[in-house]
Amino acid sequence: MPVQSLQNTDVIVPQHTPHPLLPFLQSQSQTTLTRLYQRPSSCLSVFRLLGPIERQLIMNLLWLESALSVATISAWVLPEGKDAYDSALAVMTGLHIAQNSAVKLALNSTFKSSLRQAITGGGSTGSFGVPTDKDGKRQSANIENLDAYALERWETILHYMVSSGQGQNPTKPSQGVLYLLQRSGLMNNAHGPALQITSSGFQFLLHSPHDQLWNLLLQYLHMAEERQMDLVEVLSFLFMLSTMDLGREYSTEPLSETQKAMLEDLRDYGLVWQRKTSSKRFSPTRLATTLTSSSPPLPSSHSTGGSHTADGTGAVALSSGAAQQGFIVLETNYRIYAYTDNPLQTAVLNLFITMKYRFPNLVVGMLTRESVRKALGNGISADQIISYLTTHAHPQMRKNNPLLPVTVQDQIRLWELERNRLKSAEGYLYKDFASQADYEYVLAYAKQLDVVLWENAGKRCFFGTLEGHANVRGFIERRTGSV
Amino acid sequence: MRAIKGVLLTCDSAVKQILLTMNEKDPFVIEDLDDYHLVIKADEEYRVRRELEAELEKNTYSLETN
Repeated sequence: MPVQSLQNTDVIVPQHTPHPLLPFLQSQSQTTLTRLYQRPSSCLSVFRLLGPIERQLIMNLLWLESALSVATISAWVLPEGKDAYDSALAVMTGLHIAQNSAVKLALNSTFKSSLRQAITGGGSTGSFGVPTDKDGKRQSANIENLDAYALERWETILHYMVSSGQGQNPTKPSQGVLYLLQRSGLMNNAHGPALQITSSGFQFLLHSPHDQLWNLLLQYLHMAEERQMDLVEVLSFLFMLSTMDLGREYSTEPLSETQKAMLEDLRDYGLVWQRKTSSKRFSPTRLATTLTSSSPPLPSSHSTGGSHTADGTGAVALSSGAAQQGFIVLETNYRIYAYTDNPLQTAVLNLFITMKYRFPNLVVGMLTRESVRKALGNGISADQIISYLTTHAHPQMRKNNPLLPVTVQDQIRLWELERNRLKSAEGYLYKDFASQADYEYVLAYAKQLDVVLWENAGKRCFFGTLEGHANVRGFIERRTGSV
Repeated sequence: MRAIKGVLLTCDSAVKQILLTMNEKDPFVIEDLDDYHLVIKADEEYRVRRELEAELEKNTYSLETN
C-alpha cells in the first residue's frame, strides 16, 4: 500500500505551448485588436499569454522611442535560435503587436503606450476595474467563500457532464451553461431529449481546469460574435477580470451594457460572484483572476470543503496544496489508489477504471481491458488517460522514474492499438487495364489527385478513394473516347 | 479496364487470415490484394467488423473474473 507522507518535490514546469486564445486573437482584424490594445489591462493580459521569447522581445522594444533595424535585432539571435526567433516574430506580427517590415521592427504604438501605462500605473481609464469602498454594513465576500462558490459552480458543470451518460440526475447548471456545452460540441441531444456527453466532452473532462475554462470561454467568444456583442468589450472584460484582485469588490457602474450582460453569464460559470443579481458590485473569483496566469484556477480540486474533517488520526493527511498536485497512485499490477473524497474526481476516474472499493477518503480501482476499452469507445484516447494519470499522480509517485509504470502505459496503448486492427476506406478498385502503359498513365493521374490508397504494378491494379472516382472515371472516359 | 466499388481493408496478416476463414462461410471478399489488404463488399463492412470483433474476443483473457 502506498504511504501518505507529503513532500513538495515536484515543480510545475511552465508550458510553452501557445495559449489557446492566441489563434483566436490572430484571426481578428487589426482594427479590433488596436481597439483592444487601447486598454492597459488587455495589453498586460496578452503579454502574459505570450511565450517567453515574445515577452523578451517586447520588453526590449517597449521603452524605445524609435524603431529598431532588423539587422540589429538579428545580431542578438544565435544561429540555432533563428527558428524560435522567427516564429516568435510571426506570432507578434499576427497579433499586430509588432509592425514588421523588412528593415525596421517596432511595437504597435497603441500597444506600446498601453503596456507602458499598465506597468508604470497612472491614467484614469479604469481598465483594471474600479474597486468599491468598503461597505460598513455588509461584509464583503472573503476569499474562502469565493473559492467555495467558484468550485461549486465549476464542479456542477463538470459533474453534470460526467454523469449525463449514467442515468443519474445531478444538479443541472443554468440554461446558459447548457447551451454553451451544446454549442461547443461537448454535449448533444442526439439520443432523445436529455443532453448526453460526446466524445469530445469526455476528452474535455481529462484536461486541466485552466484548459477547460479557456475552452469554454473561446466558445463563448465565438457565440458573442453571433450574438452581435462587441468582441472588444467582451475580451477586454475577461482581461480586466484576469488582472483584478481576489477578494476585492468592484463596481459595476463603469461597465458597458455588454459587460453588464456578461456578468450574468460569468456568474453561471463561477467566474464572478454577486450578492444579488441587482447588486451594484461584484467580486471576481479565483477562476477569473488566474485566467492569464499560470497559478491554478481552483483552490483545491479535491474537496468542496465542509465534508472534510480530518482530525489528528492521520487517515486523511492531504492538505489542499497536495490535492492540487495529485492524488492518484498507480501500481504495476494495474491497481489505482485515488486519495479523494470528491465525487467529481471519482466520476472522472470511473470513466476508465473498474471500481473495487470505496472508502471515505480513498477509492481503489483497477485498470482493466474492459474499463479501458469502454473509455476508448467513448472517444478517449490512450494518451489522454496516461496524461490524466500523470498530471494527477500522487506526490509519492513523483519519486518514480518514469512516473507511471511502463508496463501499464504500454498496455493501455496496446489496448488502443487492438481496437484499430482493421482500417477501412471506401472507394473503387481499378483493374484489368489493357496495357502496362495504360495502367501507368491512369495511375499517374490518380496520384496527381492524391486519391490512391493502394497500388500494385505487378497485378496492374490500384485502389482509389470514393471522392476521386468521378475524376478518375472522367479521365478514363476522355482517354478511351479520344482513341 | 474495370472499376469495382468496395471497401479497402488494411489489417495485419493474422486478422487477414481470420477474415479469409470467415469468408469461406459467408463470402464477402471481392479481391485479395496482398498480405495486408483486402477489398470487400461495401455493405458487408459492418457485419464483418462485428464478427471479427467477436472472433478476437474469444482469444482474450481477462483478469476481472475473480
